[in-house]
Amino acid sequence: MRANSAKIVYSTLIATGAVALATSIIYASSILAFIGLGLLFWGITFTFIRTEEYVKKALLDVTVSPQMAIINEIIQEMECEGNAIYLPPKYLSDPEAYKAYIPKQKEAELPTPEQTQKQDPQFFIAFIENPPAALLTPPGAELAKLFEKTLETNFTRVDLQYLQQNMPKLLIEDLEIAQNFEMETENDKIRVKIQNSVFNALNKVTEQPSSIYSAFGSPLSSAIACALAKSTGKPIIIEKQQTSEDGRDVTIDYRILEEEEQTEP
Amino acid sequence: MTFPLGFWDISLLLAVTAIILLITSELLSPHYGKTNILINKKKLRNTAIIVSLLFLITVAVRIATIILTP
Repeated sequence: MRANSAKIVYSTLIATGAVALATSIIYASSILAFIGLGLLFWGITFTFIRTEEYVKKALLDVTVSPQMAIINEIIQEMECEGNAIYLPPKYLSDPEAYKAYIPKQKEAELPTPEQTQKQDPQFFIAFIENPPAALLTPPGAELAKLFEKTLETNFTRVDLQYLQQNMPKLLIEDLEIAQNFEMETENDKIRVKIQNSVFNALNKVTEQPSSIYSAFGSPLSSAIACALAKSTGKPIIIEKQQTSEDGRDVTIDYRILEEEEQTEP
Repeated sequence: MTFPLGFWDISLLLAVTAIILLITSELLSPHYGKTNILINKKKLRNTAIIVSLLFLITVAVRIATIILTP
């Protein structure tokens, strides 16, 4: 209905503008010519700058939540208690894929690339028996692929500095996911501050200790972890996620894991 | 039957349109917070830049005319 009314508006502008322009030529009227050109120009501009396809935020919340709930239910069923480790491409048989490794015990050692490559799931999830763990596609995998597509790059070819420079523009201007984005690095720690993201509602739920989302974080924090793992070439873990009182600002602490390191700090 | 507007009238029209588009595009920029105006902001910014460039071309033509006219 709204699209139809917009179509009527710009069609009318173009038609009126064309008529005014033609009349101005017949009667040699400069005022009519100005009006005609103005209307014609705005009609063409409105046709070109059409409304993008938007969906309501409430829809996003209700469609994302159940999918994440299913993933977490599977993890809970498997009694996996460890934090999700976002694996870099060298741990996977398909370097374009994004996978997270969740050990069964809290204090577990990182798997070797050979172990995970053998178990690399062709589908959504794979179970590893020794050491007991799950290997699955994290909820932010597709969002991370969208980051790559929008930036027209592959995160394996870039470094942390590139992400620091380009992620703010990507998230604020290009994808309009957040109002502000900052990334700070200090040794093996990466702190990300996000202001007023579209995933605000999910961020709040993620922080609750018994939350069904606690293993991965929100889709946005998961996507950033995927991007970090691929660009640094090292496993990444989400250490902490904090949301401000009003729920607008989120601070996420990531840690780059060194090989042969235990997952629990 | 002649077109009643001259080159400088078109230049003026382009200047006014460019200013309106540039200001609108800047006000709708995501850097100043999310707005409820559902519009393709990238295309709006590109249009503003193109119209501004067209106006600058008319200015360049004007300057060239002044310099080259004996």
